[in-house]
Amino acid sequence: MGQIVDIGRRIELVPMDSYFHDITIALYQQQPAIGPSFLVHTYSRIEDASQRIQFVVDAMQVLGGMTLTELGLLRFSCGVDHQLACKRVFLEACKSDPTQLVESRPNTIVDKKSNRNVTVLSRGNGRYQVTVDGDETGKERRVSAITGGLIKLGDMIAADEKNSDQVVFSCGRSHDALVGLLLVRAPNVRAVVREHQMTASRGVLSSPSQQE
Amino acid sequence: MKTKINSMTSRQRVLAALSREPVDRTPVCNPTSVATVELMDLADASFPEANRQPELMARLAATGYTELEFDTIMPVFTIIQESSALGCKIQWEQKDNWPTVKMREPIYEDVDDINIPSDLLTHQDTKCVLDAIKILKKEYGDEVAVIGKTMGPWSLGYHGFGVESFLLMSLDDPDKTMQCLDKLKKVTIDFGVAQIEAGADALTLPDHATGDLVSGDYYRRYLRDLHTEFVDRIPIPLILHICGRTVDRMEYIAQTGMSAFHYDSKNHPQESIDITQDRISLVGNINNPETLFARGPEEVRQEVYKNLDAGVQLVGPECAIPLQTAVENLMEIPKAVRDWHKERVAQN
Repeated sequence: MGQIVDIGRRIELVPMDSYFHDITIALYQQQPAIGPSFLVHTYSRIEDASQRIQFVVDAMQVLGGMTLTELGLLRFSCGVDHQLACKRVFLEACKSDPTQLVESRPNTIVDKKSNRNVTVLSRGNGRYQVTVDGDETGKERRVSAITGGLIKLGDMIAADEKNSDQVVFSCGRSHDALVGLLLVRAPNVRAVVREHQMTASRGVLSSPSQQE
Repeated sequence: MKTKINSMTSRQRVLAALSREPVDRTPVCNPTSVATVELMDLADASFPEANRQPELMARLAATGYTELEFDTIMPVFTIIQESSALGCKIQWEQKDNWPTVKMREPIYEDVDDINIPSDLLTHQDTKCVLDAIKILKKEYGDEVAVIGKTMGPWSLGYHGFGVESFLLMSLDDPDKTMQCLDKLKKVTIDFGVAQIEAGADALTLPDHATGDLVSGDYYRRYLRDLHTEFVDRIPIPLILHICGRTVDRMEYIAQTGMSAFHYDSKNHPQESIDITQDRISLVGNINNPETLFARGPEEVRQEVYKNLDAGVQLVGPECAIPLQTAVENLMEIPKAVRDWHKERVAQN
């Protein structure tokens, strides 16, 4: 009778895709034998919806450095789920303009708050160092804010006390594309959290006494 | 005494539970909406159109039965259909949000302003409900319980006057408030009876004397007798819905003769059953924002079991679910109900 089958645990949702007929696109996590994997899915049967999903899947490979399994699932080559980071990759992929070529993000950005260049350098074994150019005044604070952002957005870990400018992935493997993607939002995590809260609060019906 | 599991149709199960008669297993019931954005895609029937076009309304509502395996189909997703027909200004919103009454632009200032329009039942937004019920009844017949909805006069008062004005009036001028309720009850009755004629098997009657704003004593003074009157004048099982903590008025609610009370997760199942006893069925009370929306199937299952352990007669979400709720969480409700019953059978 039903058409819904078990496709895993839904971990992220774009309720209205502004690029394709306001369809809903979801990210599901599965646990096949090869390790944690992710499925991009829509229940929409609008013609070409599958092409839209394929675009998001392709974009996630580029933006997050993810790979595609034979079953069409996405995963990180390290075999760890990096769930929080994967959710961010999904959301950014859905926001990517389909008329433009999707490219992986560079490892350097201009930090609007300090107007300085911020670079994330790979130090091997999943470790990344955040550097900020310009004079020393306020530099440490910006480095700290950006490493904090990477930790919050990508579920990364502070490397150690001696290297407070460094963060590491728990898997100990490099994820250069992923770090480039996370770096874009890392300077302003509050905005990311606010956006997430706003999206999540839509569609929750409050009783008339709570409405305006 | 229980009958053999799966020997009843969904409709029989729901109607029996509403009468507190024996059932083969506890029915899974949604007196309010279980629509989600993903189900809208699946049914190709999205908000806001699915609140205004009967075919879309029926198609989206049917997924509650065909996909989620609930024992009920409930097509009246919103709480604004009658208010729209009364002339309230509506913010229809988009696919991912609920339509609401613009209560900052009230249509009533005094009791004399309340005039029930002659097109109450032929207005697009009430007719849509009636037509959707007819479609569902034709499609699903006696297989599944089709539940309609008619808003109570207290809720309509909020919509027509604005929440603050209506509550202030209830404090300052109880007589006038009673006159307003008395005029607005015609909407509740007429729309309810029209849904019976369209084929509804039961009706949800939301009347938002909610725990956060209105006391139990208020309920007794203003609404208990009105709700008792509805039982007489709307001849079908009625499911009263009030959000929030309501144990202070469950005694009065149990006295109304309503078939069921759709209760909120702010009330513990056991304490609620202790008050209502066998006088009224309880429906609920799986938490929406914290459990169905934000957690996973394991937590949903725990809440289902808590209700079943307490003897709650019909299990379902506490209120209209958030539109972004994950389908797997909703599907866990009937699964958990079936498993609970299997476990009890195995134990015996």
